[in-house]
Amino acid sequence: MTSPLITGYVQGLHRNLPAALADEAADGLMQTYQHHRAREASDQEAARTALAEFGDLATVVGEFTRQAPGRRAARLLLATGPVASSCWAAALVLGRAWAWPIPDTARASFGAVLLVAALALAAAATSRHSYQRTRLAAAASPLILALDVTAVAAAGLFAPALTWPLCLAIAVSVTRIAFTARTLPHLAAR
Amino acid sequence: MKAEAQVLKGHLDTLLLASLENGPQHGYAVKEALRAGSGARFDLPTGTIYPALRRLEAAGLVEGTWEQADGRRRRSYELTPAGRRRLAGDRTAWRDFASAVTAILEPAP
Repeated sequence: MTSPLITGYVQGLHRNLPAALADEAADGLMQTYQHHRAREASDQEAARTALAEFGDLATVVGEFTRQAPGRRAARLLLATGPVASSCWAAALVLGRAWAWPIPDTARASFGAVLLVAALALAAAATSRHSYQRTRLAAAASPLILALDVTAVAAAGLFAPALTWPLCLAIAVSVTRIAFTARTLPHLAAR
Repeated sequence: MKAEAQVLKGHLDTLLLASLENGPQHGYAVKEALRAGSGARFDLPTGTIYPALRRLEAAGLVEGTWEQADGRRRRSYELTPAGRRRLAGDRTAWRDFASAVTAILEPAP
């Protein structure tokens, strides 16, 4: 038998965190509770002391959220955004990309996907209390990967010459592709 | 008190690594080791230990494994070789820093 206070807290952990994190924290809470029960405190008293010692739910969920792999990955991808954008902008202007034979719908789709991915990453990167929100990075990362692959492929197919800004832009995108491909399985698992 | 909590937060990673130096421990045991080792001065909210251990795991400094205890899943952590190297480096840096501060603060005999 466990105190309803403890049960409610554990349910809160499971509502707000992935199962593995919730299980680990719940075990710690149960150990704290059992420690106080063993000191012959009443059930209610032991539960209250254990909860006070453990920290309130918002604080614990917030700490897990700040350490979430999705939040870290989103921050890193967002931080590389201005560098990648600047490199690509310079390369596309020098390569007169507006003259490349790419349909307008494809250009518009690229822009729309980029916007959606950036918004999802921003939501994940700025999450402080919602672990669920950090999972948006897992949805945005494949989009970023696809955008980088598309940009590199388009440059390879249509760029008239290999200028140094284009080489730099491709290098930045390839680095991001490698990072995203390596991070994605971890993000999807959590 | 608030200032001390901030200072403690700055050294939390090193303290967690040190508490795992003698072998694998689960989160609650790590928290108790910190409390007992500091004479109850470092009494962190237990729930904040677990995210910190996960952060160290993501950094490759500790490795966690699941086990079964009291009918529940329990995660234990142990230092990786990188964690041991980091602890040794942090310990040396701390000793150097502490001896320099002590040399200034303690009155000359």
